[in-house]
Amino acid sequence: MTGTNPFQIPMQPRNLRSHSLPSPHVRVWDAPTRLFHWTIVSLVGCSWYSADQGLMTLHLWSGLILLTLLLFRIAWGIVGSTTARFSDFLHSPSTVIGYLKALMSNRKPLYVGHNPAGGLMVAALITVLLAQVATGLFANDGVRFHGPLALWVSTDISDRLTQLHGLVFNAILLLVWMHLVAVFFYLLVKGDNLVKPMVTGYKHRHHLPQQLNLKFVHWAIALVVLAAAAGVVGWILL
Amino acid sequence: MVVSANSSNTQRLSVPLYFICVVLLTSLGIGAAMLLRPTLSYSIRSVLGLEKQLEAAAGSFYTMRVAPLFEEHCTGCHGGHRQKADLRLDSFAAAMRGGKHGPVIAKGDVEGSELVTRLTLPPEHEKAMPPPGKPPLSADEVKVIKLWIAAGASGALPVAAIKGAPPPVKKIEFPEIDESAVAQARAPLAQVVKQLQARFPGVLSYESHSSADLYVNAALLRRAFGDKEFAALAAVREHVVWADLSGTSISDASAQALAQCKRLRTLRLADTHVSDATARALTSLNDLKSLTVMGTVLSESSLGSLRSQGVKIYDGHESLSNSNATS
Repeated sequence: MTGTNPFQIPMQPRNLRSHSLPSPHVRVWDAPTRLFHWTIVSLVGCSWYSADQGLMTLHLWSGLILLTLLLFRIAWGIVGSTTARFSDFLHSPSTVIGYLKALMSNRKPLYVGHNPAGGLMVAALITVLLAQVATGLFANDGVRFHGPLALWVSTDISDRLTQLHGLVFNAILLLVWMHLVAVFFYLLVKGDNLVKPMVTGYKHRHHLPQQLNLKFVHWAIALVVLAAAAGVVGWILL
Repeated sequence: MVVSANSSNTQRLSVPLYFICVVLLTSLGIGAAMLLRPTLSYSIRSVLGLEKQLEAAAGSFYTMRVAPLFEEHCTGCHGGHRQKADLRLDSFAAAMRGGKHGPVIAKGDVEGSELVTRLTLPPEHEKAMPPPGKPPLSADEVKVIKLWIAAGASGALPVAAIKGAPPPVKKIEFPEIDESAVAQARAPLAQVVKQLQARFPGVLSYESHSSADLYVNAALLRRAFGDKEFAALAAVREHVVWADLSGTSISDASAQALAQCKRLRTLRLADTHVSDATARALTSLNDLKSLTVMGTVLSESSLGSLRSQGVKIYDGHESLSNSNATS
Protein backbone atom coordinates (compact mmCIF):
# COMPACT_ATOMS: atom_id res chain seq x y z
CA MET A 1 0.00 0.00 0.00
CA THR A 2 1.44 3.19 -0.99
CA GLY A 3 -1.45 5.05 0.59
CA THR A 4 -2.52 6.56 -2.72
CA ASN A 5 -5.52 5.77 -4.91
CA PRO A 6 -4.47 5.44 -8.57
CA PHE A 7 -7.99 6.42 -9.75
CA GLN A 8 -8.18 9.58 -7.71
CA ILE A 9 -7.44 12.79 -9.55
CA PRO A 10 -4.87 14.56 -7.50
CA MET A 11 -6.12 17.91 -6.17
CA GLN A 12 -3.90 20.75 -7.08
CA PRO A 13 -3.22 23.48 -4.60
CA ARG A 14 -5.33 26.54 -5.56
CA ASN A 15 -2.33 28.76 -6.01
CA LEU A 16 -0.43 26.13 -8.00
CA ARG A 17 -3.36 25.59 -10.39
CA SER A 18 -3.78 29.28 -11.04
CA HIS A 19 -0.15 29.56 -11.98
CA SER A 20 0.16 26.45 -14.06
CA LEU A 21 -3.05 26.70 -16.15
CA PRO A 22 -3.71 29.52 -18.57
CA SER A 23 -6.64 31.83 -17.81
CA PRO A 24 -9.82 30.78 -19.65
CA HIS A 25 -10.35 34.35 -20.80
CA VAL A 26 -8.06 36.28 -23.10
CA ARG A 27 -8.00 40.01 -23.63
CA VAL A 28 -8.86 40.72 -27.28
CA TRP A 29 -10.32 44.24 -27.40
CA ASP A 30 -8.52 47.28 -26.09
CA ALA A 31 -10.38 49.96 -24.14
CA PRO A 32 -10.32 52.62 -26.89
CA THR A 33 -11.96 50.27 -29.40
CA ARG A 34 -14.63 49.26 -26.91
CA LEU A 35 -15.29 52.83 -25.85
CA PHE A 36 -15.49 53.86 -29.51
CA HIS A 37 -18.01 51.12 -30.22
CA TRP A 38 -20.42 51.96 -27.41
CA THR A 39 -20.03 55.71 -27.77
CA ILE A 40 -20.90 55.41 -31.44
CA VAL A 41 -23.98 53.38 -30.52
CA SER A 42 -25.03 56.12 -28.08
CA LEU A 43 -24.31 58.94 -30.51
CA VAL A 44 -26.22 57.35 -33.39
CA GLY A 45 -29.20 57.01 -31.06
CA CYS A 46 -28.74 60.56 -29.81
CA SER A 47 -28.49 61.93 -33.34
CA TRP A 48 -31.62 60.08 -34.41
CA TYR A 49 -33.59 61.28 -31.38
CA SER A 50 -32.38 64.89 -31.59
CA ALA A 51 -33.18 65.15 -35.31
CA ASP A 52 -36.60 63.65 -34.76
CA GLN A 53 -37.39 66.04 -31.94
CA GLY A 54 -35.90 69.08 -33.65
CA LEU A 55 -33.18 69.47 -31.00
CA MET A 56 -30.72 70.73 -33.56
CA THR A 57 -28.04 72.06 -31.21
CA LEU A 58 -27.81 68.64 -29.60
CA HIS A 59 -27.86 67.10 -33.09
CA LEU A 60 -24.96 69.33 -34.14
CA TRP A 61 -22.82 68.39 -31.15
CA SER A 62 -23.67 64.74 -31.52
CA GLY A 63 -22.59 64.88 -35.16
CA LEU A 64 -19.35 66.69 -34.40
CA ILE A 65 -18.42 64.16 -31.71
CA LEU A 66 -19.30 61.37 -34.15
CA LEU A 67 -17.01 62.90 -36.74
CA THR A 68 -14.21 63.18 -34.20
CA LEU A 69 -14.63 59.55 -33.16
CA LEU A 70 -14.78 58.32 -36.75
CA LEU A 71 -11.53 60.11 -37.56
CA PHE A 72 -10.07 58.65 -34.39
CA ARG A 73 -11.22 55.17 -35.39
CA ILE A 74 -9.67 55.47 -38.84
CA ALA A 75 -6.35 56.50 -37.29
CA TRP A 76 -6.69 53.82 -34.62
CA GLY A 77 -7.24 51.30 -37.40
CA ILE A 78 -3.73 52.14 -38.55
CA VAL A 79 -1.77 52.69 -35.35
CA GLY A 80 -3.95 50.92 -32.77
CA SER A 81 -3.87 47.51 -31.14
CA THR A 82 -3.81 44.34 -33.24
CA THR A 83 -7.55 43.66 -33.28
CA ALA A 84 -8.38 47.31 -33.96
CA ARG A 85 -6.27 47.49 -37.09
CA PHE A 86 -7.79 47.41 -40.57
CA SER A 87 -5.02 45.07 -41.62
CA ASP A 88 -6.34 42.57 -39.07
CA PHE A 89 -9.97 42.54 -40.13
CA LEU A 90 -10.22 43.70 -43.74
CA HIS A 91 -10.16 40.75 -46.10
CA SER A 92 -10.69 40.09 -49.79
CA PRO A 93 -14.25 39.48 -51.03
CA SER A 94 -13.44 35.82 -51.67
CA THR A 95 -12.34 35.41 -48.05
CA VAL A 96 -15.54 37.03 -46.84
CA ILE A 97 -17.68 34.78 -49.04
CA GLY A 98 -15.72 31.71 -47.96
CA TYR A 99 -16.19 32.70 -44.33
CA LEU A 100 -19.95 33.17 -44.74
CA LYS A 101 -20.25 29.79 -46.47
CA ALA A 102 -18.38 28.13 -43.63
CA LEU A 103 -20.57 29.94 -41.13
CA MET A 104 -23.76 28.64 -42.72
CA SER A 105 -22.42 25.13 -42.46
CA ASN A 106 -21.78 23.46 -39.14
CA ARG A 107 -18.35 24.98 -38.82
CA LYS A 108 -17.35 28.07 -36.94
CA PRO A 109 -14.15 29.64 -38.21
CA LEU A 110 -12.41 31.31 -35.31
CA TYR A 111 -10.99 34.80 -35.39
CA VAL A 112 -9.55 36.77 -32.53
CA GLY A 113 -10.98 40.15 -33.45
CA HIS A 114 -13.49 40.97 -36.17
CA ASN A 115 -14.21 38.07 -38.50
CA PRO A 116 -14.13 38.85 -42.27
CA ALA A 117 -17.85 39.59 -42.41
CA GLY A 118 -17.65 41.69 -39.26
CA GLY A 119 -14.67 43.55 -40.67
CA LEU A 120 -16.66 44.37 -43.77
CA MET A 121 -19.48 45.60 -41.56
CA VAL A 122 -17.08 47.83 -39.61
CA ALA A 123 -15.77 49.35 -42.85
CA ALA A 124 -19.30 49.83 -44.19
CA LEU A 125 -20.51 51.46 -40.99
CA ILE A 126 -17.53 53.81 -40.80
CA THR A 127 -18.13 54.76 -44.45
CA VAL A 128 -21.85 55.48 -44.13
CA LEU A 129 -21.41 57.27 -40.81
CA LEU A 130 -18.70 59.44 -42.36
CA ALA A 131 -21.00 60.14 -45.30
CA GLN A 132 -23.74 61.02 -42.84
CA VAL A 133 -21.70 63.48 -40.80
CA ALA A 134 -20.11 64.94 -43.95
CA THR A 135 -23.49 65.64 -45.54
CA GLY A 136 -24.75 66.90 -42.19
CA LEU A 137 -22.05 69.56 -42.10
CA PHE A 138 -23.52 71.07 -45.28
CA ALA A 139 -27.20 70.39 -44.56
CA ASN A 140 -29.92 72.82 -43.57
CA ASP A 141 -33.47 72.54 -42.31
CA GLY A 142 -34.57 75.48 -44.42
CA VAL A 143 -35.71 77.39 -41.38
CA ARG A 144 -33.72 77.85 -38.23
CA PHE A 145 -30.69 75.64 -38.58
CA HIS A 146 -27.89 74.93 -40.97
CA GLY A 147 -24.78 72.80 -40.70
CA PRO A 148 -21.50 74.56 -39.85
CA LEU A 149 -20.29 74.37 -43.46
CA ALA A 150 -23.64 74.94 -45.21
CA LEU A 151 -22.78 78.53 -46.05
CA TRP A 152 -19.73 77.36 -48.01
CA VAL A 153 -21.95 75.94 -50.72
CA SER A 154 -24.95 77.17 -52.66
CA THR A 155 -28.45 76.69 -51.28
CA ASP A 156 -29.14 74.20 -54.05
CA ILE A 157 -26.14 72.04 -53.15
CA SER A 158 -26.98 72.35 -49.45
CA ASP A 159 -30.55 71.21 -50.19
CA ARG A 160 -29.28 68.23 -52.19
CA LEU A 161 -26.90 67.24 -49.40
CA THR A 162 -29.76 67.58 -46.93
CA GLN A 163 -31.74 65.09 -49.00
CA LEU A 164 -28.72 62.81 -49.11
CA HIS A 165 -28.40 63.18 -45.32
CA GLY A 166 -31.88 61.69 -45.02
CA LEU A 167 -31.18 58.88 -47.47
CA VAL A 168 -27.88 57.84 -45.89
CA PHE A 169 -29.70 57.55 -42.58
CA ASN A 170 -31.76 54.73 -44.09
CA ALA A 171 -28.50 52.99 -45.06
CA ILE A 172 -27.34 53.33 -41.44
CA LEU A 173 -30.58 51.78 -40.19
CA LEU A 174 -30.14 48.90 -42.63
CA LEU A 175 -26.55 48.28 -41.54
CA VAL A 176 -27.46 48.49 -37.85
CA TRP A 177 -30.23 45.95 -38.45
CA MET A 178 -27.81 43.63 -40.30
CA HIS A 179 -25.29 44.10 -37.49
CA LEU A 180 -27.85 43.06 -34.89
CA VAL A 181 -28.97 40.08 -36.97
CA ALA A 182 -25.33 38.96 -37.14
CA VAL A 183 -24.72 39.46 -33.41
CA PHE A 184 -27.78 37.42 -32.51
CA PHE A 185 -26.85 34.82 -35.12
CA TYR A 186 -23.58 34.23 -33.28
CA LEU A 187 -25.31 34.17 -29.93
CA LEU A 188 -28.29 31.97 -30.77
CA VAL A 189 -26.92 29.78 -33.56
CA LYS A 190 -23.21 29.57 -32.86
CA GLY A 191 -23.31 30.01 -29.10
CA ASP A 192 -20.78 32.80 -29.23
CA ASN A 193 -21.61 35.96 -27.28
CA LEU A 194 -19.93 38.81 -29.17
CA VAL A 195 -21.42 41.56 -27.02
CA LYS A 196 -19.79 40.59 -23.75
CA PRO A 197 -16.21 40.77 -25.07
CA MET A 198 -17.00 44.17 -26.55
CA VAL A 199 -17.97 45.24 -23.02
CA THR A 200 -15.27 43.52 -20.96
CA GLY A 201 -12.55 43.22 -23.59
CA TYR A 202 -12.10 39.50 -22.80
CA LYS A 203 -13.10 36.47 -24.83
CA HIS A 204 -13.22 32.85 -23.73
CA ARG A 205 -10.42 30.68 -25.12
CA HIS A 206 -13.07 28.32 -26.42
CA HIS A 207 -13.94 30.88 -29.11
CA LEU A 208 -10.36 31.71 -30.03
CA PRO A 209 -7.64 30.12 -32.12
CA GLN A 210 -4.83 28.53 -30.12
CA GLN A 211 -2.08 30.69 -31.53
CA LEU A 212 -2.44 34.28 -30.42
CA ASN A 213 -0.09 37.11 -31.13
CA LEU A 214 -1.78 40.22 -29.86
CA LYS A 215 -0.18 43.56 -29.24
CA PHE A 216 -1.95 46.30 -27.32
CA VAL A 217 -1.14 49.95 -27.74
CA HIS A 218 -1.12 52.09 -24.59
CA TRP A 219 -4.29 54.10 -23.96
CA ALA A 220 -2.24 57.29 -23.75
CA ILE A 221 -1.50 56.91 -27.46
CA ALA A 222 -5.24 56.64 -28.05
CA LEU A 223 -5.72 59.92 -26.18
CA VAL A 224 -3.16 61.60 -28.43
CA VAL A 225 -4.91 60.22 -31.53
CA LEU A 226 -8.27 61.38 -30.18
CA ALA A 227 -6.90 64.86 -29.52
CA ALA A 228 -5.51 64.96 -33.04
CA ALA A 229 -8.90 63.91 -34.46
CA ALA A 230 -10.61 66.63 -32.42
CA GLY A 231 -8.04 69.08 -33.73
CA VAL A 232 -8.83 68.12 -37.33
CA VAL A 233 -12.55 68.62 -36.70
CA GLY A 234 -11.85 71.97 -35.08
CA TRP A 235 -9.69 72.97 -38.04
CA ILE A 236 -12.45 71.98 -40.50
CA LEU A 237 -14.97 74.09 -38.63
CA LEU A 238 -12.74 77.11 -38.21
CA MET B 1 -5.34 33.64 -36.80
CA VAL B 2 -8.11 31.42 -37.95
CA VAL B 3 -9.03 27.82 -37.46
CA SER B 4 -12.29 26.08 -38.08
CA ALA B 5 -14.08 24.45 -35.21
CA ASN B 6 -17.16 22.34 -35.14
CA SER B 7 -19.68 24.34 -33.23
CA SER B 8 -22.34 21.70 -32.90
CA ASN B 9 -21.84 21.56 -29.15
CA THR B 10 -22.82 25.16 -28.68
CA GLN B 11 -25.46 25.41 -31.37
CA ARG B 12 -28.87 26.33 -30.06
CA LEU B 13 -30.94 27.23 -33.12
CA SER B 14 -30.60 25.87 -36.61
CA VAL B 15 -29.65 28.37 -39.29
CA PRO B 16 -33.00 28.13 -41.15
CA LEU B 17 -34.97 28.52 -37.92
CA TYR B 18 -32.93 31.55 -36.95
CA PHE B 19 -33.57 33.29 -40.26
CA ILE B 20 -37.27 32.46 -40.09
CA CYS B 21 -37.26 34.22 -36.71
CA VAL B 22 -35.37 37.16 -38.24
CA VAL B 23 -37.94 37.50 -41.01
CA LEU B 24 -40.82 37.32 -38.53
CA LEU B 25 -39.28 39.85 -36.16
CA THR B 26 -38.37 42.17 -39.02
CA SER B 27 -41.94 42.00 -40.28
CA LEU B 28 -43.21 42.77 -36.79
CA GLY B 29 -40.80 45.69 -36.53
CA ILE B 30 -41.88 47.11 -39.89
CA GLY B 31 -45.51 46.64 -38.89
CA ALA B 32 -44.97 48.51 -35.64
CA ALA B 33 -43.12 51.28 -37.47
CA MET B 34 -46.02 51.52 -39.93
CA LEU B 35 -48.43 51.98 -37.05
CA LEU B 36 -46.25 54.65 -35.45
CA ARG B 37 -45.41 56.43 -38.70
CA PRO B 38 -48.40 56.80 -41.04
CA THR B 39 -46.14 58.14 -43.80
CA LEU B 40 -44.02 54.98 -43.68
CA SER B 41 -47.18 52.95 -43.95
CA TYR B 42 -48.19 55.02 -46.95
CA SER B 43 -44.79 54.63 -48.62
CA ILE B 44 -44.84 50.85 -48.23
CA ARG B 45 -48.46 50.56 -49.39
CA SER B 46 -47.64 52.78 -52.39
CA VAL B 47 -44.71 50.57 -53.35
CA LEU B 48 -46.98 47.54 -53.09
CA GLY B 49 -49.64 49.27 -55.20
CA LEU B 50 -52.17 49.13 -52.37
CA GLU B 51 -52.57 52.87 -51.94
CA LYS B 52 -55.37 54.68 -53.73
CA GLN B 53 -53.87 57.79 -55.33
CA LEU B 54 -55.93 60.88 -54.58
CA GLU B 55 -55.81 63.59 -57.21
CA ALA B 56 -57.39 67.02 -57.28
CA ALA B 57 -59.32 68.13 -60.36
CA ALA B 58 -57.63 70.65 -62.64
CA GLY B 59 -60.11 73.49 -62.06
CA SER B 60 -60.90 72.70 -58.44
CA PHE B 61 -60.75 75.18 -55.58
CA TYR B 62 -57.83 73.21 -54.19
CA THR B 63 -55.84 73.39 -57.42
CA MET B 64 -56.63 77.01 -58.21
CA ARG B 65 -56.59 78.60 -54.77
CA VAL B 66 -55.12 76.33 -52.08
CA ALA B 67 -52.24 74.58 -53.86
CA PRO B 68 -50.63 77.90 -54.90
CA LEU B 69 -50.62 78.99 -51.23
CA PHE B 70 -48.96 75.73 -50.17
CA GLU B 71 -46.46 76.14 -53.00
CA GLU B 72 -45.62 79.69 -51.97
CA HIS B 73 -45.48 79.25 -48.20
CA CYS B 74 -45.08 75.58 -47.31
CA THR B 75 -43.44 73.30 -49.85
CA GLY B 76 -39.94 74.66 -49.19
CA CYS B 77 -39.94 72.51 -46.04
CA HIS B 78 -42.89 70.22 -46.77
CA GLY B 79 -42.28 69.28 -50.39
CA GLY B 80 -40.07 67.28 -52.67
CA HIS B 81 -36.76 68.57 -51.33
CA ARG B 82 -37.56 68.40 -47.66
CA GLN B 83 -40.24 66.64 -45.66
CA LYS B 84 -40.13 68.20 -42.22
CA ALA B 85 -42.15 66.07 -39.81
CA ASP B 86 -42.73 63.70 -42.76
CA LEU B 87 -45.30 66.17 -44.06
CA ARG B 88 -45.64 67.03 -47.74
CA LEU B 89 -48.00 69.66 -49.06
CA ASP B 90 -46.94 69.51 -52.69
CA SER B 91 -49.84 67.36 -53.81
CA PHE B 92 -53.45 66.85 -52.81
CA ALA B 93 -52.82 63.24 -51.84
CA ALA B 94 -49.83 64.14 -49.67
CA ALA B 95 -51.64 67.04 -48.01
CA MET B 96 -54.58 64.83 -47.10
CA ARG B 97 -52.26 62.06 -45.86
CA GLY B 98 -50.56 64.27 -43.28
CA GLY B 99 -47.27 63.92 -41.45
CA LYS B 100 -45.64 61.75 -38.85
CA HIS B 101 -48.31 62.64 -36.30
CA GLY B 102 -51.15 61.88 -38.69
CA PRO B 103 -53.45 64.03 -40.84
CA VAL B 104 -53.15 67.81 -40.57
CA ILE B 105 -56.38 68.50 -42.43
CA ALA B 106 -59.69 67.37 -40.97
CA LYS B 107 -62.40 67.50 -43.62
CA GLY B 108 -65.08 70.01 -42.63
CA ASP B 109 -63.44 70.70 -39.27
CA VAL B 110 -61.49 73.94 -39.39
CA GLU B 111 -60.77 74.07 -35.66
CA GLY B 112 -59.73 70.43 -35.61
CA SER B 113 -57.23 70.84 -38.42
CA GLU B 114 -53.65 70.99 -37.21
CA LEU B 115 -52.75 72.93 -40.34
CA VAL B 116 -55.07 75.81 -39.41
CA THR B 117 -53.95 75.69 -35.78
CA ARG B 118 -50.31 76.09 -36.84
CA LEU B 119 -51.09 78.83 -39.34
CA THR B 120 -53.02 80.89 -36.80
CA LEU B 121 -50.65 80.60 -33.83
CA PRO B 122 -48.93 83.83 -32.75
CA PRO B 123 -45.74 84.28 -34.82
CA GLU B 124 -43.55 84.01 -31.71
CA HIS B 125 -45.03 80.61 -30.83
CA GLU B 126 -42.56 77.75 -31.22
CA LYS B 127 -44.99 75.77 -33.35
CA ALA B 128 -46.21 78.66 -35.50
CA MET B 129 -46.08 78.10 -39.24
CA PRO B 130 -44.49 79.35 -41.37
CA PRO B 131 -41.56 79.64 -38.94
CA PRO B 132 -39.75 82.90 -38.19
CA GLY B 133 -37.90 84.29 -41.17
CA LYS B 134 -40.47 83.03 -43.65
CA PRO B 135 -43.26 85.29 -44.94
CA PRO B 136 -46.48 84.50 -43.07
CA LEU B 137 -49.77 83.90 -44.81
CA SER B 138 -52.03 86.93 -45.01
CA ALA B 139 -55.42 86.90 -43.29
CA ASP B 140 -57.05 86.45 -46.71
CA GLU B 141 -54.83 83.49 -47.52
CA VAL B 142 -55.65 81.79 -44.21
CA LYS B 143 -59.31 82.48 -44.90
CA VAL B 144 -59.04 80.69 -48.27
CA ILE B 145 -57.64 77.60 -46.54
CA LYS B 146 -60.27 77.72 -43.81
CA LEU B 147 -63.09 78.00 -46.35
CA TRP B 148 -61.69 75.06 -48.29
CA ILE B 149 -61.46 72.87 -45.18
CA ALA B 150 -64.91 73.97 -44.01
CA ALA B 151 -66.29 72.93 -47.39
CA GLY B 152 -64.91 69.44 -46.91
CA ALA B 153 -61.30 69.84 -48.09
CA SER B 154 -62.34 68.46 -51.43
CA GLY B 155 -60.10 68.03 -54.44
CA ALA B 156 -63.11 68.13 -56.75
CA LEU B 157 -65.15 71.18 -55.71
CA PRO B 158 -64.85 73.89 -58.37
CA VAL B 159 -63.75 77.40 -57.51
CA ALA B 160 -67.25 78.81 -57.83
CA ALA B 161 -68.65 76.30 -55.34
CA ILE B 162 -66.97 77.96 -52.38
CA LYS B 163 -68.46 81.41 -51.80
CA GLY B 164 -66.86 84.30 -49.96
CA ALA B 165 -63.23 83.54 -50.80
CA PRO B 166 -61.10 86.67 -51.12
CA PRO B 167 -59.95 87.23 -54.70
CA PRO B 168 -56.47 85.92 -55.50
CA VAL B 169 -53.66 88.45 -55.35
CA LYS B 170 -52.01 89.03 -58.69
CA LYS B 171 -48.30 88.44 -58.32
CA ILE B 172 -45.68 90.04 -60.52
CA GLU B 173 -42.48 88.09 -60.78
CA PHE B 174 -39.18 89.31 -62.10
CA PRO B 175 -36.65 87.00 -63.65
CA GLU B 176 -33.62 86.36 -61.53
CA ILE B 177 -30.45 88.11 -62.57
CA ASP B 178 -27.71 85.82 -63.79
CA GLU B 179 -24.78 87.67 -62.26
CA SER B 180 -22.14 85.61 -64.02
CA ALA B 181 -23.75 86.12 -67.45
CA VAL B 182 -23.92 89.88 -66.83
CA ALA B 183 -20.28 89.99 -65.76
CA GLN B 184 -19.34 87.99 -68.85
CA ALA B 185 -21.24 90.38 -71.14
CA ARG B 186 -19.65 93.43 -69.53
CA ALA B 187 -16.14 92.01 -69.43
CA PRO B 188 -14.87 93.07 -72.92
CA LEU B 189 -15.47 96.76 -72.22
CA ALA B 190 -15.32 96.79 -68.45
CA GLN B 191 -11.93 98.47 -68.30
CA VAL B 192 -12.81 101.16 -70.85
CA VAL B 193 -16.13 101.86 -69.15
CA LYS B 194 -14.35 102.20 -65.84
CA GLN B 195 -11.88 104.71 -67.32
CA LEU B 196 -14.64 106.74 -68.99
CA GLN B 197 -16.68 106.75 -65.77
CA ALA B 198 -13.65 108.16 -63.99
CA ARG B 199 -13.19 110.81 -66.70
CA PHE B 200 -16.90 111.76 -66.90
CA PRO B 201 -18.34 111.17 -63.42
CA GLY B 202 -22.03 110.42 -63.48
CA VAL B 203 -22.25 110.49 -67.29
CA LEU B 204 -21.78 106.84 -68.21
CA SER B 205 -23.69 104.05 -66.50
CA TYR B 206 -25.12 100.62 -67.23
CA GLU B 207 -28.74 100.48 -68.26
CA SER B 208 -29.57 98.15 -65.31
CA HIS B 209 -28.06 95.57 -62.95
CA SER B 210 -28.81 92.86 -65.46
CA SER B 211 -27.54 94.64 -68.59
CA ALA B 212 -24.25 95.38 -70.31
CA ASP B 213 -25.89 98.21 -72.34
CA LEU B 214 -24.95 101.78 -71.52
CA TYR B 215 -26.66 105.04 -70.69
CA VAL B 216 -24.97 108.37 -71.49
CA ASN B 217 -26.30 111.27 -69.45
CA ALA B 218 -24.10 114.16 -70.61
CA ALA B 219 -26.82 116.72 -69.86
CA LEU B 220 -25.34 116.84 -66.36
CA LEU B 221 -22.20 118.49 -67.73
CA ARG B 222 -24.08 121.04 -69.84
CA ARG B 223 -21.75 122.99 -72.19
CA ALA B 224 -18.64 121.31 -70.77
CA PHE B 225 -19.56 118.26 -72.84
CA GLY B 226 -19.12 118.71 -76.56
CA ASP B 227 -18.00 116.98 -79.74
CA LYS B 228 -14.53 116.24 -78.39
CA GLU B 229 -15.92 114.60 -75.29
CA PHE B 230 -18.48 112.62 -77.28
CA ALA B 231 -15.66 111.39 -79.52
CA ALA B 232 -13.96 110.03 -76.40
CA LEU B 233 -16.86 107.54 -76.08
CA ALA B 234 -15.95 105.93 -79.41
CA ALA B 235 -15.00 102.58 -77.86
CA VAL B 236 -18.40 102.12 -76.23
CA ARG B 237 -20.68 103.68 -78.87
CA GLU B 238 -22.12 100.39 -80.04
CA HIS B 239 -23.29 99.63 -76.49
CA VAL B 240 -25.06 102.95 -75.92
CA VAL B 241 -28.85 102.51 -75.97
CA TRP B 242 -29.91 105.78 -74.32
CA ALA B 243 -28.23 109.18 -74.54
CA ASP B 244 -29.22 112.52 -73.12
CA LEU B 245 -27.07 115.21 -74.74
CA SER B 246 -29.53 118.03 -73.98
CA GLY B 247 -27.93 121.37 -73.24
CA THR B 248 -24.48 120.18 -74.21
CA SER B 249 -22.29 121.89 -76.80
CA ILE B 250 -22.56 118.96 -79.18
CA SER B 251 -22.95 119.91 -82.85
CA ASP B 252 -23.22 118.45 -86.32
CA ALA B 253 -19.55 117.53 -86.01
CA SER B 254 -20.77 114.55 -83.96
CA ALA B 255 -23.39 113.50 -86.50
CA GLN B 256 -21.39 110.55 -87.81
CA ALA B 257 -20.38 109.53 -84.29
CA LEU B 258 -24.06 109.50 -83.33
CA ALA B 259 -24.84 107.44 -86.42
CA GLN B 260 -22.40 104.84 -85.17
CA CYS B 261 -24.46 104.32 -82.00
CA LYS B 262 -26.30 101.56 -83.84
CA ARG B 263 -28.32 100.36 -80.85
CA LEU B 264 -29.44 103.77 -79.72
CA ARG B 265 -33.13 103.72 -78.81
CA THR B 266 -33.57 107.09 -77.12
CA LEU B 267 -31.71 110.29 -77.95
CA ARG B 268 -32.22 113.69 -76.39
CA LEU B 269 -30.69 116.62 -78.25
CA ALA B 270 -32.78 119.49 -76.81
CA ASP B 271 -31.12 122.90 -76.66
CA THR B 272 -28.11 121.87 -78.75
CA HIS B 273 -26.59 123.26 -81.94
CA VAL B 274 -27.38 120.26 -84.13
CA SER B 275 -29.13 120.81 -87.45
CA ASP B 276 -30.58 118.83 -90.34
CA ALA B 277 -27.22 117.19 -91.05
CA THR B 278 -27.48 115.37 -87.72
CA ALA B 279 -31.11 114.48 -88.37
CA ARG B 280 -30.14 112.93 -91.72
CA ALA B 281 -27.37 110.91 -90.05
CA LEU B 282 -29.82 109.60 -87.51
CA THR B 283 -31.97 107.99 -90.18
CA SER B 284 -29.42 105.15 -90.29
CA LEU B 285 -30.31 104.16 -86.71
CA ASN B 286 -32.84 101.37 -87.06
CA ASP B 287 -33.43 100.98 -83.29
CA LEU B 288 -34.09 104.66 -82.62
CA LYS B 289 -37.56 105.08 -81.13
CA SER B 290 -37.46 108.43 -79.40
CA LEU B 291 -35.80 111.73 -80.31
CA THR B 292 -36.06 114.97 -78.36
CA VAL B 293 -35.15 118.05 -80.36
CA MET B 294 -36.83 120.95 -78.55
CA GLY B 295 -34.81 124.15 -78.81
CA THR B 296 -32.97 123.06 -81.95
CA VAL B 297 -33.14 124.35 -85.52
CA LEU B 298 -34.07 121.04 -87.13
CA SER B 299 -36.49 121.48 -90.00
CA GLU B 300 -39.81 119.75 -90.21
CA SER B 301 -38.76 118.03 -93.43
CA SER B 302 -35.72 116.36 -91.84
CA LEU B 303 -37.78 115.29 -88.87
CA GLY B 304 -40.46 113.95 -91.18
CA SER B 305 -38.18 111.28 -92.57
CA LEU B 306 -37.40 110.15 -89.03
CA ARG B 307 -41.09 110.09 -88.17
CA SER B 308 -41.73 107.96 -91.21
CA GLN B 309 -39.25 105.46 -89.74
CA GLY B 310 -41.41 105.26 -86.62
CA VAL B 311 -39.30 107.54 -84.44
CA LYS B 312 -41.30 109.46 -81.85
CA ILE B 313 -40.21 113.08 -82.12
CA TYR B 314 -40.40 115.41 -79.14
CA ASP B 315 -40.05 118.89 -80.57
CA GLY B 316 -42.48 120.81 -78.37
CA HIS B 317 -45.37 120.25 -80.80
CA GLU B 318 -46.05 116.60 -80.06
CA SER B 319 -49.83 116.84 -80.01
CA LEU B 320 -49.84 118.63 -83.37
CA SER B 321 -47.23 116.30 -84.85
CA ASN B 322 -49.00 113.25 -83.63
CA SER B 323 -52.38 114.42 -84.86
CA ASN B 324 -50.78 115.17 -88.23
CA ALA B 325 -49.18 111.78 -88.28
CA THR B 326 -52.40 110.02 -87.46
CA SER B 327 -54.37 112.06 -89.96
